[in-house]
Amino acid sequence: MSSDLMSAAAGDDPAEGLHAVRSLRVLADRLEALHVERARRLGWPWQHIADVLGVTRQAVHKKYGKRFP
Amino acid sequence: MYERFTRSARQAVVWAEEAGRREGADHIESGHVLLGAVHVERSVAARALARLGIEPDSLAECVRSLKTDSLDADALAGIGVDLEAVRAQVEATFGAGALDAATRPRRTKGHVPFDPAAKKMLELALREAIRFRSKGIDTGHLLLAAARLDGAAAQKALAWFGHDRKAIEDAVVAAWADAGE
Repeated sequence: MSSDLMSAAAGDDPAEGLHAVRSLRVLADRLEALHVERARRLGWPWQHIADVLGVTRQAVHKKYGKRFP
Repeated sequence: MYERFTRSARQAVVWAEEAGRREGADHIESGHVLLGAVHVERSVAARALARLGIEPDSLAECVRSLKTDSLDADALAGIGVDLEAVRAQVEATFGAGALDAATRPRRTKGHVPFDPAAKKMLELALREAIRFRSKGIDTGHLLLAAARLDGAAAQKALAWFGHDRKAIEDAVVAAWADAGE
């Protein structure tokens, strides 16, 4: 994927590249939500999830605390 | 306000609600209402857009691409990400439909509320009806409202085709002159 990714990211049509970036972001967000939910079900503490995601505990709790308590 | 809606305008709202429910959206958005107005056959909105040379399908495509949470399979394919493969993998772990349901509460039946922009669109349609001293609120007023809805998907989608508010208003007025709804 990475060589293709580089070629599209450096491609000459900005619209295409930007569309791809946006979809990647949406995809990442959805995958994150699914995995956070699963981790919570498996009993992971927020701190642990935050460490793996590379964000603060507050950030991940604020984003998902209500949905996956 | 609904009692002032013409038959076509009511059909447009029903279409919007059905589209939102079908997509599993958590809100009816301005784009749904705009597409509803255009999808009612021979409606003022449909005829006005035809005058502007805007195809309902391209408008629908445009609204879709403006949705903030859309996954564009073609765009992803362009950078070598196979969305179907990702979907299959995710569903193997999280169950059928997991990827599409991940961002929103699952709402398959019951009432889907209008989001603030869609509510605003209905209010603006009422205002347009008053401005034109119209008897009822029709799909033409909904289209005029969409064109005034700064920042919302419905307005952006219309703007994408390069017609300003005045051009849209002229097309609506001409469609009214053709024949009433």
